[in-house]
Amino acid sequence: MSRALTGWFFALPFAALFLLFTAGPVVASLLMSLTDLGSADLLHPLGVNIVGLDNYLRLFDDPKFLIAATNTAIFVVVGVPLTMAAALLVALGLNSGLVKFRALFRVGYYLPVVTSIVAISVVWRFLLQPDGGLVNEVLSWVGINGPNWLNNKTYALPTLIVMGAWRNLGFGMVIFLAGLQAIPKELYEAATIDGAGKWSQLRFLTVPMLRPTMLFVAVITTIGYVQFFEEPFVMTRGGPLDSTLSMAYHTYNQFGFGNYGYASAMGYVLFVVVVLLSIAWFRLLRNNVD
Amino acid sequence: MTRPKRRTLLLAAVTAVALAASACGRDSGDGEAEKGEKVAQGKASGNITVWAMGTEGEKLSALADDFMKENPDAKVTVTAVPWDNAHNKIAAAIAGQQTPDVTMLGTTWMGEFAKTGALDVVPPDFVKKDDFFPGAWETGVVDGTSYGVPWYVETRLLFVNKAVAEKAGITEAPKDWDSLTQAVSDMKTKGGAKWGVYLQPGQTGAWQTAMPFVWQNGGEVWDGKNFTLDSPEATEALEYYQSFYKDGLSTKDRIPDGQQEPKLLKGEIGAFVSGPWHIGLLNDLGGEGKYELWPMPSGSGDATSFIGGSNMSVFKNSKNRDGAWKFVSYLMKPEVQVKWYETVNDLPAVQSAWDDQTLSGDEMLKMFGDQLDKAKAPPSIPTWEQIAAGLDTELEKVAKGTESAADAAKAMQAQATSIGTGG
Repeated sequence: MSRALTGWFFALPFAALFLLFTAGPVVASLLMSLTDLGSADLLHPLGVNIVGLDNYLRLFDDPKFLIAATNTAIFVVVGVPLTMAAALLVALGLNSGLVKFRALFRVGYYLPVVTSIVAISVVWRFLLQPDGGLVNEVLSWVGINGPNWLNNKTYALPTLIVMGAWRNLGFGMVIFLAGLQAIPKELYEAATIDGAGKWSQLRFLTVPMLRPTMLFVAVITTIGYVQFFEEPFVMTRGGPLDSTLSMAYHTYNQFGFGNYGYASAMGYVLFVVVVLLSIAWFRLLRNNVD
Repeated sequence: MTRPKRRTLLLAAVTAVALAASACGRDSGDGEAEKGEKVAQGKASGNITVWAMGTEGEKLSALADDFMKENPDAKVTVTAVPWDNAHNKIAAAIAGQQTPDVTMLGTTWMGEFAKTGALDVVPPDFVKKDDFFPGAWETGVVDGTSYGVPWYVETRLLFVNKAVAEKAGITEAPKDWDSLTQAVSDMKTKGGAKWGVYLQPGQTGAWQTAMPFVWQNGGEVWDGKNFTLDSPEATEALEYYQSFYKDGLSTKDRIPDGQQEPKLLKGEIGAFVSGPWHIGLLNDLGGEGKYELWPMPSGSGDATSFIGGSNMSVFKNSKNRDGAWKFVSYLMKPEVQVKWYETVNDLPAVQSAWDDQTLSGDEMLKMFGDQLDKAKAPPSIPTWEQIAAGLDTELEKVAKGTESAADAAKAMQAQATSIGTGG
């Protein structure tokens, strides 16, 4: 009995803080999403009408929400595989021993992950300038007349996807490097003896052995990408013509307008999406290797 | 846990939730205009806490020191709150009942915060409505009651590159819509500018450029009962706004922050619409003398511009209400308003302050002062920010040519009506 008490005593500080600052607000916002709480109710938060699932149903009538959901879906569906593939490529390259100064490259690729988004956006805005920017300069050498990337309805979101992939591949690279180094060398030797070429080794040895690592990177990247907010907020403000409006950005706007109940409902829809996608990844990349 | 125990627990939980749910529910307000309570005469005393944002927050202590010299028993504490977090901070303070005595509020925030019931009504005899510019006073009035006093104001004029205008053969500022279009067109064809004018093509804040066209045409956003965004005057105004993009006179792409000014001074854009803060910005870039100001043109109505600025409000649960209002009315004295202009370059909201030589002697400021007589603000309703965001979206479609002006006007009206006034 006293051992149990001691255990609880040690867990108490974290449990108290968790209940107060994490679990409490989560439950409160769930209840908020079932009411029509607005900014006018700040002084009397209990004096609001309970509207049940009305907020959730209203979401699907909101054209901006549907646009935001589509944009987020495109970002995730295109961005996650792109980022993972790029990260895996870089990790394989660094792991193969072909490159000297490996540590330097590791730092270089990881740096964008920890750099402030504001700094990154300033630099990328210069690069993407239609008249003097580096991207269009390089394209003009091969005869392509580059568009006004961030102001173009068709190209704004793909530009943000590429920028997001560039920024986040460092994280995946670090995890994949660790995963690659965990694969026993004997397996590669055995494969070479059996006559497998480099490409076959990659397909049938490396990738299956990396499944748990890939699962981790996939889930973390998906969770991050479903909530992508900083890139559209800083680079395009959701434009042009809402082509880069993300679900998180739309939620942020609604909170700004004071529609707390409605925005909470949107937040919970996001939560459900993240949970479903995580379950999907777990199913897909289930560890079937011993 | 045994079965009956579990059932009882469940029953108790359900009853508790049901009771709690029934306790919820909003009661409707009475919607009558309220009168403020009187403030006692005499010097101020006690502690007065003040929140102010931006540069104003940083420099307000200068005026606070003067106030404390005149009122030795009072102690004023100014807290500078950065602009980007201010709205949330005030909302959190209201929710947590940790508000200061006095706060500065942006004009477009008045409706929202007044509706929370946290703001005190302006005492009628202490602060006189007629001292202020009418457009400015209106920004503090919500549902017929005054909740804030205008502190400083700003309005918008056309900043024009002098050399481009001269080359285009323009000798005086255009007075109506047709002359403005002609002038802008000349600046592009004869003046050598790539774009005759830069009007913000939608996105956040574009309504501040486009709504004045509605007012200039004699239209309104809100007539006191309904929105009037699809009136013929408003639709014409949107067509006028669209004409600049259709005729290639303004770029359809948003120019990022910080690039408008160099482009104007270089002559790449002939003109843009902005407020008094740009005088300082352009002068810092070495533009002094290279640009001039044009007043707003008139459509079928008056040559109206947008008025913004900040108000001062007192919180209802302030522990030193008398002191708070005395401090606010001190800031509204004409000589204090002039001193404030000299400190941070904010335009006074009090009309008589403009008679002072510092302001009446400066040509450019005089133009802002004249425009302030004919400037309007959007309705002080709590849902304005959300409606404005809807306007910005439709304006972007109008600018980029994906929607006709008539359809945009109808869409704006439908959105505004469905969002409502949050009453």
